[in-house]
Amino acid sequence: MKTSALLATVAFALAASGGTATAADNVVKLGASVQLTGTNANTGRYYQDAYRLTVDKINDAGGIKIGDKTYKLQLDILDNQSDVNLSVRQYVQLLKSDNVDFLLGPFASNFALNDSSVAEKYQVPMVQGGGASGQIYSRGYKYIFGTLPPADDYFASTIDMLGKVDPTPKTVALVAADDSFDVSVAEGTRKHIKDAGMKLVLDKQFRDGGGEFSSILSQIKSSDVDAVLWTGHETDALNFIRQAKSLNVNPKDFYSFTVGVPTADFRQALGKDANYAFGMTSWLPNESLKDKWFGDAKSFADAYQKKYGYAPDYHAASGAADVETFAYALEKAGSTKPDAVRDAIAKSDFDSLYAHVKYGENGQIDLPQIVVQIQDGKLVPVYTDHMLNKPQYPIPAWGKR
Amino acid sequence: MIRLAIILVGAAILACLPFFTGAVFMQFAINALILAVLTQSWNIIGGFTGYVSFGNSTFYGLGIYGTAVAMVKFSLPFAVGLGCGAVLAVLAALLIGIPILRLRGPYFAIATLGLAAATGALVSTIDLAGANTGLVLPLVRADTMFYELALGLLLVCTLTVLWIATSRFGAGLVAIREDEDAAATMGVNTTAYKVIALMMSAFFTAIAGGIYAYWISFIDPSSAFDPTLNVRMVIMAVFGGPGTVLGPLAGSFILSAVYEVLSSWISTAAALLFGIVIVLAVIFTPRGIADVLVGVRRHGWRYLTRNIRENRL
Repeated sequence: MKTSALLATVAFALAASGGTATAADNVVKLGASVQLTGTNANTGRYYQDAYRLTVDKINDAGGIKIGDKTYKLQLDILDNQSDVNLSVRQYVQLLKSDNVDFLLGPFASNFALNDSSVAEKYQVPMVQGGGASGQIYSRGYKYIFGTLPPADDYFASTIDMLGKVDPTPKTVALVAADDSFDVSVAEGTRKHIKDAGMKLVLDKQFRDGGGEFSSILSQIKSSDVDAVLWTGHETDALNFIRQAKSLNVNPKDFYSFTVGVPTADFRQALGKDANYAFGMTSWLPNESLKDKWFGDAKSFADAYQKKYGYAPDYHAASGAADVETFAYALEKAGSTKPDAVRDAIAKSDFDSLYAHVKYGENGQIDLPQIVVQIQDGKLVPVYTDHMLNKPQYPIPAWGKR
Repeated sequence: MIRLAIILVGAAILACLPFFTGAVFMQFAINALILAVLTQSWNIIGGFTGYVSFGNSTFYGLGIYGTAVAMVKFSLPFAVGLGCGAVLAVLAALLIGIPILRLRGPYFAIATLGLAAATGALVSTIDLAGANTGLVLPLVRADTMFYELALGLLLVCTLTVLWIATSRFGAGLVAIREDEDAAATMGVNTTAYKVIALMMSAFFTAIAGGIYAYWISFIDPSSAFDPTLNVRMVIMAVFGGPGTVLGPLAGSFILSAVYEVLSSWISTAAALLFGIVIVLAVIFTPRGIADVLVGVRRHGWRYLTRNIRENRL
């Protein structure tokens, strides 16, 4: 039995080392392991599609100039099947047997946390747009950069806005899921609530994906709060609103969700009940976001919609910015050496379809979340650091709509 | 004797592999070795004693967390961390084992089913353990060390299983598997035997967890207390031959390799694979591939149909 096991391992070793390594001249290879199947596939596809679209666009425009040579970008994507251990192995494979030059990230914080260790281990820069957790950047790693803003600050712009509306909410309930991302959001939000002089009267955690809110909702009802800040994942957000309606729970002025609200699925699933809900996004396909390759964010969104048949959200835009980060950094570094490119990425400073890209000392971008609201079935941007559109505020009770 | 020779020669060959293979193979091999340790330790309680445990990933998670907390929060060296994880898991096995090992058959399996999820939920409320957000361990660039460590652990674990298979203690475990009441009548202290078997299983599982934690460098409750990992242990052991010394090794190496190859060629099929394997294995080779080698030599291809008839399928 031992011999057959050995045969199997040897056979595998041969299969693994036989990967093609024919990197033609004048090509820079970017590699990523993304969730194309499994539980995270629904969001993982944004990254594959955005990477591909951006790489194609840059190549169609003639590629990039490094020194006095023109290079094309090449993209290697593997499917990690939403399995963290597999994704780590695939990143090593990308670097060591597929001879990829630089790394793009996977979706979600827990994947980014593990996969960025591979980048750091082999000292090859990774730019990732899929993980927002501050932990990714708190380890003192030098080769990891990220285009999602810190989870702690997701509610910062919302709370800022609440200080400027009439009547200003005084009591707040915070409802957060128990996974890594939402725990970070909740921690940051508590601080922001305190700094804004509001009172946190209810602080509740629920099991991620649990979908049962009747006890939390009845506590919200009895504590009669002015505002509810909610963070979790989309299906739970839908359940929360449905149950709030059926139990007739009405926060006096305001409720807001970290995820869900900007997506078309959210509006479709809830219909009229989606109205008035506040939410946030780090990106909207706006013409004011100018881009070297796409022109602006709106034409990026149109090209994306046309090619893949669904609208991009901030995940996709963030992924596109990751590819552009490499394009700019390679041109600026004038070389494809990992260390030179790493230093050029750290000095990134450019406008893109996603945002103005500039990384902090720890490698993470800092962006304000745009507060959005669904007004008569339409998604309306409301606030960043100033009012963009008039919010429908306070939110009317369920019976008075 | 032959088995001992196979184990030692196999280990010696595997120990040299890092000098001939690349980083990609190392990634796969470390994972495969850790899975093999988990399968072999599951074999002690599930294979020899016949108690199908779905709670072994609890011990794995405790090993992971024991090591990580000791290293991150108390800045203890890795070896001490491994010890902490092992002690934690063995104590848990003792505490859990005494009440639930009184249950038999499916009742035991059901009782262990929720253990990992419950422990994971418990850990995610402890601030010292990083709550839900997990812990970050220092990064080391030493894959060869992790490989040799995992291999060494697998060797010790397999030698222990070999000892069990040839000892009076092991005979007691097998007696419990075949007929627990008869074993008790014959003077086997069944409770003590079962609890000790579970504690041994927990010990090796926890050390494997500690190695994994330091190697992967980031852990959180959902990855540490992953119930699907436990399912893999069971499938690999059943596929290889539960209650044998070398069967679980063969089962885990073969399935790890097949899974790896499939997942890089046709990704969705890899997920289906484990389900198909368990169905086929239960129907055709209920005693594992260890038994197939002997059976096919004796009965030819009729061995497979004989299995179906014998198990009244």
